[in-house]
Order: sequence, then structure tokens, then C-alpha cells
Amino acid sequence: MTENNPYIPMPVEISKVIDEVDSHDIKTFRFTFLNKEDEENFKYLPGQFAELSIYGKGESPIGIASSPTQAGYVEFTVQRAGTIVPGLVTAALHDMDEGGKIGLRGPLGHSWPIEFLEKKDIVVVGGGFAFTTLRSLINFMLHEDNRSRFGEITVIYGARTPGLLLYKDELAQWEKRDDIKTVITVDKGDDTWTGRQGFVPAVCREVAPSPKNTVAVICGPPIMIKFTLPVFFELGFSKENILTSLEMRMKCGIGKCGRCNVGYKYVCSDGPVFSLAQLEELPRDF
Amino acid sequence: MLKKTTIDKLPELAAALMEKGTLVAPVKEDAGFNFREITDAKQVDLIFHNTIISPKSAFFPQVEDFVRYQTGKSILEAAPVELNLKPTFLFGVRPCDVKSFQIMDIHFSGTGVVDPYWQKRREATTIFGFAFDMNEAADAAEFYHTLGIGAADPEGSDIFMVRKDDILMLKVITPKGEKLMTGLSFLTDASADEIKYFDDYITKGYDYKTCYTCVDTEAIAREFEAIFDNADFWTKISDACLSCGVCTFVCPTCYCFDICDETLFSQGTRRRVWDACMFTDFTLEASGHNPRTKVYQRLRQKVCHKYSYHIRKYGVISCVGCGRCTRYCPVNIDIFSIVEEAVKAKWYKRL
Repeated sequence: MTENNPYIPMPVEISKVIDEVDSHDIKTFRFTFLNKEDEENFKYLPGQFAELSIYGKGESPIGIASSPTQAGYVEFTVQRAGTIVPGLVTAALHDMDEGGKIGLRGPLGHSWPIEFLEKKDIVVVGGGFAFTTLRSLINFMLHEDNRSRFGEITVIYGARTPGLLLYKDELAQWEKRDDIKTVITVDKGDDTWTGRQGFVPAVCREVAPSPKNTVAVICGPPIMIKFTLPVFFELGFSKENILTSLEMRMKCGIGKCGRCNVGYKYVCSDGPVFSLAQLEELPRDF
Repeated sequence: MLKKTTIDKLPELAAALMEKGTLVAPVKEDAGFNFREITDAKQVDLIFHNTIISPKSAFFPQVEDFVRYQTGKSILEAAPVELNLKPTFLFGVRPCDVKSFQIMDIHFSGTGVVDPYWQKRREATTIFGFAFDMNEAADAAEFYHTLGIGAADPEGSDIFMVRKDDILMLKVITPKGEKLMTGLSFLTDASADEIKYFDDYITKGYDYKTCYTCVDTEAIAREFEAIFDNADFWTKISDACLSCGVCTFVCPTCYCFDICDETLFSQGTRRRVWDACMFTDFTLEASGHNPRTKVYQRLRQKVCHKYSYHIRKYGVISCVGCGRCTRYCPVNIDIFSIVEEAVKAKWYKRL
């Protein structure tokens, strides 16, 4: 029952662990495939996710944080869950070091619609921990093979504090480049912070990207989304040109287990990427 | 090809099938009838109305083991559980339940990723459909006629059976059924009168009335979409609901499952088990967020899934009108009366 069985995870090994934030509860795990053919078959695009699988603990659906342009490995940025619900998989993963072996099922779900984004200006808006598949998208677009396929790229990324910003090294690199406009903000700075302070919606209003031939890709906590969307409507963005990614509890990840539906869509197999126009057709049940 | 045998020779037929593989058939138990794997040919009993649990277990068992693992050992040592299926004969399935397999096929193997367990179990199985006894009145909870399913509807069966007094007539419907039937040499040919009776019986089955009639599925889907935000409606219809989930377990078209790791000492199994949208933690996320904390939200999910979302997604209603959810609900919630309420008697008329 191994062959073409979507429920059986493929083995991967942790080749790198990056402690991302000063609260130490978010780490990026780099995995390398133990079977060469699994690596070849794992063809993904930014925005897709996979199930991280640890026998005896369970599985967790996590967005892919690396870009397919980064060959040879795949990365996931994982928060240790457990303040409200005990997170068995994420806790076990956080306790593992390089060399640890786990399972991976995927890639799953739909990616950011790359073809739709081509030849357009892209505004990426991220808040807090919900920046992982956006990072994948940014690195994908910035890759030398792809950069010319997209227009201007603007990134607006915010976290509560400087210590909670993910991918700090990459943010610094992006800030140095002239083919991407990077706007980093924190709700509240600290003694060392020399950058911008302010909430993401306010910063979006200030940056005021033009809606002309532009798509906004927005991920963040519900409160950020709630106040950011009106800003983009004011700027003149249509609902078709605002994209986001949904989360629901998932198990199978392939549209079979019936768990993650919002109306007639399964977030795992019909999403997780949706335009605002698509979401408006669904009942508010998420 | 119409063949026949007599009811008193049923054990003989059962024994012949058991010789060829696994026989799953209705068996009388303390609480009522259920489909069981037959170990004694005399167990098979066709004098029943319908089983408590639906026959979906034949393809979607309550527990399906995926992988065996040992804690503390590497993932490389985990071993997928092989499905070594013998030819299986699912015997005595009512037409509405046969229809449920076709509805489930669309979900499990007809669209998107193919579920290998469902597919392999389906491929290994020959279905003997069995007409309802039209001399009895339909059960009050049943409404398969509403959904266009005849009481003697042979569609989806490999072999279809009709009982006339002490005679059991069997007709080949598919090549799979034909292959099997040619090997059952002790069956005799039916007479011309019996062939006529059989054909008439099937035709008559489409006029055999259950509770309701005349349903426009598209219209129902739309009504439920319109009524989604009416919390008063959903609160009212769910006021007695215990959120126990029995409606989902007995349902032939409910397919929600959980994937869980069961470890005893160091030995573990990753398996899928039935789950139900009626449970609070079904949608509880790791963040603590849960979109369906209230009973009415969960009953709404169940009803809207069956009568609205499924139609939007797959073009078919996810219900065959078998009546089990209504029959076994501990607080007597009648699912079709919810539909009735929702569409305000616009799209059907009560007989």
C-alpha cells in the first residue's frame, strides 16, 4: 500500500534548525529528502503546504516557507502550539535537532496563482507569524530566473516587536536590493530599533500602492486582515485582486476527510489560497 | 440472465460465495440487523427491512490501519499495512444504500486524489442489491423515493435480487456480476412468468412511495445558502440535538474521518477512524480558534453539507433517504423535516 498512497509520508531529515524569534517558540526547519525520488516528485509552488508527520504524535499541516528555486531541501517555519490546545507534533518537532527524521506528505493545496500574478505589480502584506508562504513567494519572484516575469514588488511586513520578525537576515538583504521595495514595521520598537513603528494597516495607507495592474497578497492575524482590507478597498483594489490564504483544522490534506470545509470548498484541496471575491461567495464559517 | 433459488437454499448460496471469498451479509443481532462477515452460512438472513449501520463499512470501515510504527524508532522502520483483500461479496444491499456507494465513489475515487483504500475495497467487492419488500409499507423515516431512488432500483448493483414469497430471483447487471453468476451452477433459470414479475417489480419500485415526493435538489441547495445566517432557524431546529454524532455513524454517505496515532506501550498504528462534524473539537485549531463551538453551527454544517455543499461541489445530494439518521436519533430530530422547514414547502408536496 506504499505506492501512490497519499496517506503515507515520505521520510525527511532535519538538516538545519533556525531559531527565528526571541520568544524561541518559532523555528524554521530545513528538511532534506532521504529518498532521491521523493525529492524529485516533491514539485511545489509558493503558497502550498504539507503535512509534517511524526509517528506517535500525529500530523500538522504547515505552509512551505522555502521557495522551489531553493533546490535540494524544503523549509517550514513552525510555531510551537500549546497555549490553548496541546500541540503534540509541533512540540515534538521543536524538541528535535539536526539529524532528526520525520515524515512529510505533500505538496498539498493550491499555490499562489503564479500565472495570474505574472506581468503585474505585486504588493505582499504580511503580519507576524503568517509570513511563511509569503516569504516563499517573495524569494520565488526575486530569483534571477523569475524576476523579469513580475512588475514592481512591494513588501509590507509587520510584527509586534523587532524580536518577533521572521527571516531577519533575508529582510536585511531585501532592503539592500533595488528590485524590491521592502517596508518593515513593528507595533512597538525597542532600544535598538531604528526602523519604522506602526500597525500594518496604517503603514499600507502610508505606502499607498497603486491598484493599477496590481495584486495584493495579504496574510496575517484576523485583526490585521480586518483593518487592512478597508485600506486596500479605499486605494481602489478590486476583490479579485486581493488574495489571501485560509487556515482550518485539517487532517488528510487531500480533500477526503471532510474536516476543513468552508461551505462547499475544502480549504486543503480547493484552497488554501483564495481571492477575496471567492471568499465572499462562501458562508462565514471559518 | 435471470436465475433463481429458494429461500431455504440460501445457506447453499452463502456457502458457495464463502468458498470464493469473503461474504458480508445481513445478520440478525440483538438490536436488529447488521452487515457482518459471515462465518456460518446459516447466519445470512434476508427477512429484514434494513440494517442499523449502513453497509458503507464494507468500503470505509470504522477503522482502517495505515501504518505500524514503534515509538523511539526511526520513521524508516515504520511499515505500511497491506490490504490483502479476498474477493468480497456484499450481499443483500437495499437500493438506496447501493446508491450511496455511487455518491461516495465521486468523492473518494472519482475526483481529485484517489483514496486507495476505498478504491481497492470497491474493486474487490461484488454487490448483490436487494429490492425492498413492496408488500410492506415504507418505514416512516425513509424518503429515498423523494431522491429518485426506486424501491427495486438495480442501478449500481452487480447482481440484483428480488424476493417473491419463497423464491429469490437474481439478475446479472454488470460484467463483474456475470462472471460470478456463471460460477454458481446450482442456480436455476427463471421462468418467463418470473422474468415478467421481476421486470414489473423493478418498474413498480419507482412508484413505491416513501414519505415525501418532488424535490428539486438545486433549489434546496439555494435555499440552504439563503438561510445560512439565520441563527434563529438553526437554533430552533437544533434545540434538542445532543451533538452525539449517531446520525453520521449510521449514515451511508457520511465520510468524515480522523487520522490518529494509537500507541500502546511502544507499538503504534496510524489509522483512520470515523469522525463526525457533530463534535466540538472536529474544527478546533491549534491556535484555540474554533469556527463551530455551538451545537446549531454543527448541525447546520451537517445538514448544509448533505443538502447544499455537496450539490455545489459534486452535483449530487449527499443523501439517499435511507432514514437511518432520523430512525436512530435519540432526540427524534427528523432530518427531512429540517429540509421541509428550510424550503418552506415550496419545492415539494407532502403526500
